[in-house]
Amino acid sequence: MSAKTIRTLRKITQMLSFGLFMYLFVQAVYLGRSPLESDLFYRLDPLIAATAMLAGRTVIFGLLYSLINLLASLVFGRVWCGWLCPLGALLDWVSPRKPVVKNPPSDKWRTVKYVLLIILLGAAVLGSQTLAVTDPVSILTRSMTAAVWPALRYLVFGLESFLYRFESLWPALDWLNARLLLPLFQGIESVFTSALPIALFFILILGASWIAERFWCRYLCPLGAMLGTVSRASIFRREVTDACTSCGTCAAGCPTGTIDKEKGFASDPAECIYCYDCAADCPVGAIHFPAHSPLKPEGSREYDPGRRQVLAALGGTVAGVSLLGVETINRRQPERMVRPPGALLTDFTSVCMRCGECVRVCPTQGLQPSLLEGGLQNIFTPRLVPRLGACSYPCSACIQVCPTGAIPPQTLEEKQRTPIGLAAIDTDRCLVWAYDTICSICEEVCPLPEKAITLEDVEMEDAQGNMVVLKRPSVVRDLCIGCGACEYHCPVGGEAAIQVFTLPDTDVYLRGI
Amino acid sequence: MTKRTPLNRRDFLRKLGLAGAGLALSGCAGEPVQQPLPTPFSESNSPTPVPGGTSEPTPSPSYGDIYMSVVHGEEPEEMVRRALAAIGGIERFISSGDDVIIKPNICTDYYSYEYAATTNPFVVGTLVQLCRGAGANRVRVMDNPFGGTSQNAYRRSGIEETVTAAGGEMEVMNSNKFRANPIPDGVDIKEWVFYQDILDADAFINVPIAKHHGTTGLTLGCKNLMGTILNRGQIHANIHQRIADLASRVRPTLTVVDGVRTLMANGPTGGNLDDVKMSNTVIASADIVAADSQAATLFGKTGADIGYISAAAAMGLGVMDLSSVKVEEFSL
Repeated sequence: MSAKTIRTLRKITQMLSFGLFMYLFVQAVYLGRSPLESDLFYRLDPLIAATAMLAGRTVIFGLLYSLINLLASLVFGRVWCGWLCPLGALLDWVSPRKPVVKNPPSDKWRTVKYVLLIILLGAAVLGSQTLAVTDPVSILTRSMTAAVWPALRYLVFGLESFLYRFESLWPALDWLNARLLLPLFQGIESVFTSALPIALFFILILGASWIAERFWCRYLCPLGAMLGTVSRASIFRREVTDACTSCGTCAAGCPTGTIDKEKGFASDPAECIYCYDCAADCPVGAIHFPAHSPLKPEGSREYDPGRRQVLAALGGTVAGVSLLGVETINRRQPERMVRPPGALLTDFTSVCMRCGECVRVCPTQGLQPSLLEGGLQNIFTPRLVPRLGACSYPCSACIQVCPTGAIPPQTLEEKQRTPIGLAAIDTDRCLVWAYDTICSICEEVCPLPEKAITLEDVEMEDAQGNMVVLKRPSVVRDLCIGCGACEYHCPVGGEAAIQVFTLPDTDVYLRGI
Repeated sequence: MTKRTPLNRRDFLRKLGLAGAGLALSGCAGEPVQQPLPTPFSESNSPTPVPGGTSEPTPSPSYGDIYMSVVHGEEPEEMVRRALAAIGGIERFISSGDDVIIKPNICTDYYSYEYAATTNPFVVGTLVQLCRGAGANRVRVMDNPFGGTSQNAYRRSGIEETVTAAGGEMEVMNSNKFRANPIPDGVDIKEWVFYQDILDADAFINVPIAKHHGTTGLTLGCKNLMGTILNRGQIHANIHQRIADLASRVRPTLTVVDGVRTLMANGPTGGNLDDVKMSNTVIASADIVAADSQAATLFGKTGADIGYISAAAAMGLGVMDLSSVKVEEFSL
C-alpha cells in the first residue's frame, strides 16, 4: 500500500471517528437505542482509566478497554492521536493551511504535557481528579455539551422561529421540526451556567493551532504524553533511508514538528502521530516505518522531563492537592451544591472524572457542570440546578451513563426513594405566604405518589376585606427527595420562593446515606 | 388493591388492525353497511358488533335530542364508540377532509396511564380511529406537559403508540405557533396566547381524564384547556374565572371525558395505585360544561362544587343543570 493511500485512509478514519463521536453524542440522550455505548471513547482512554482507578482506588472494568489503546501504541505509536482522537481530527481541520507564526515555540515546551501527565497521575494517587478536565475526550464532550451544541441549537431554532412568522411555511417547518430538529436537539432550550468559560477554553485550544499546528497535541495533551511515553517502545517507528535528498518537505509539513533537519530528518516516536504526511509527500520515497524490537526503546530527548522536573512536578502536585484541601467545601457542603441522584452514596468527587456524560443526557438539563460553586477542586463536576431543570422523576439516565460509578448504580425505584436535597419555602417571598395570593403550583407539580408538599386551608380577609380561603404550601420533610420540580415551576421572579438545599446533616445520618 | 386491566395494549393494537381491515373490506363492498344505532341497556347476549362497524358513516343523525351520553363498561374503545354513537356518531362532528386536533391530558412524563394522571391511551386511539374513519384528512394529538419533555410524556402515557397505530400523529407543541388572540367574551382576561393550530383546526376534540387536583378540586374538560396556552402560571392568579374565559375562546367541538380510571387523590400528578379508582365511565357531549358537570359526579360532587364549571355556566358556555337536558346513560 502506498504512503498516499495510507494517508487517505487516515483522513477517512479521522472523519469516521469524529462522525462516530458526534453520533454517540447525539444518541446518548436516547438511552439504550444504540448498540454502542455512548461512553465508547472514554472506554478507550487510558488516561481516564488510570486517574479514575487510582483516585477511586477501585478497578473499573468498563475502562479496561483502554488497554487496547495502550497496546496499539506499543505497535503503531501514537495512532490514537493521528487517526482516532476526535479532538485531534478537529484540530487538523481547523488548522490554517500555511503556518501563521513563522517559528513555533521551542521544543522545550513539549515538556509541559509530560509534567501535566505526572501531576495528573500524582494527584490521582492522592485522590484528586480535578485535572481530569484536561483529558481531550473530556474537553470535546464538555465543549459540545455545554457550548457548541447549545449554541448551534440556538442558531437553528432562532432561524426556525423567524421562518415561523410566515404561516404558509408552517407545514414544511413542522415536518422539519419533527423529523430533524427535535431528534437532533431535543425539545428543551439549552442553557448552561458555565457555557462561556467552557467555550473560551475550547476556542483557545482550537485557536492555538494558529501558533503551531496541533499545538494542543504537541505541548499540552496529557493523554498524548501518556501514549507518547509508551510509543517510544513501539514496534513500527519512522525512519529515513539514504535516498533522502534533504529537500526538507517532510519537516515543513509535519503537524507535530518533530522532524529534525539537524538530525538527518529523524523524528521522535513519542511525538510522531503516524499521520503519514511525510511519507506521502516525500518526492523520493525515502520515509518508511520498519519494525523495531520493543525491548530497544528510543532514547530520551532533551525535552523529556528530567529527574529534577519529575520531582518538582510531584512536589507541586502534593502542594496543589494540599491547597485544595484547604477549600471550605471540605468542612461544609455548600448549601446549593446538590449532586446527581445517589451521588451522596459514593466518594463522589474522587470517582467522578468530569466527563460530562451525565450533563449531556440529563433530559431537563438541570445537571450543569459547576464552575467554582464547589471550590476549584470540583470544577466541571455535575450539580443539579433545579431552577434551570428539575431532576426528572421517571428518569435514571445519568445513573445509566456514568462510566465510573460516581453516580452509583441504583434501580429507578431506589433513585425515586433516595433524597438528594430538601426543599424549603421562603415565606417572605412565597406568593401565598407573603402576599395572600392564590397559588399552589409547587404542590401541583410535586411528582411523588404522596405529595411532599401539603396545602393547608387558611381562611382570611384579603386587602379588600373579602374572606378568602388560601391554600398554604408546606414541605413534608420525610417525603421530599429534593428533585426540585417545585423550584423549577415556582412562579416568582428570579430565584424561586421554594428552593432545594443540600440535605441536613441529620438527614444524611438518619436516612443512612 | 388489585387492578384488572380490561384491555391491554397488545389487544388494542390487534383490534385496531382488525378494525382497519374491516374498514378496508367495507370499502370494497361499495355501499356502506348500515349499523343500527346502539340502544341503551342493550341485552348482554346481543351479538357483538363487527369490530370497526360502529365507525361506519351514519347516514342520518338519529340521535334525537340526546345531549350527552354516559357509558359504563370495561372496554374503553367500545365505550368510546358507543358514547359517540349515542350522541349522533362522529360524523356529526367530523367531516371528510377535516384537520382535527385531539387534546388529551398528558400532564407529565412521571407515570404510565394506569396511574390515571394521563388520559387513557385506548380512549384517545379510538377517537383517532373514528376521526380517520369519518374521513378526517389529518388527526393530530398534542399536549404541553409541565413535567418532563413532550416526547417522553407521549411515550410514557402510551398515547403515542395507540395514536400512531390508529393513523394519527403526535405533534410536539412548538413555541413558535403560539399567538396572542383576543377573548371577546372573557370576564377577567381579554387576551391570551393560544396555540394557533388549535384555534384554526376544523375540529378540536377535548379528551380530559377526570382526576383530583389540589388547587381546583378536580381537573376536567375546562381545566384541560390549560394545555392550549402559554403562561399557564398566570392563570393561577384567578384560576376558576380564567379557565372559564379560556373555554369561551377555545370552544371544543366535542368533549370526551375519560372516566375509566379516576385519580381520587394526590392529583394532578398521581403516582399511587391506591388513589386510582376504576370508575369505568366515558362521557361524551358537545357541551363542555355538561360533560364536566357529569364527570364531577364520579367524585361525589356536582358542577356547582367546582369553581370553573360554575363560572363557565354563568358565562353561558353550557348547561350545568343536568336535569334540564337529555342524558343517555347505559352500561355495556
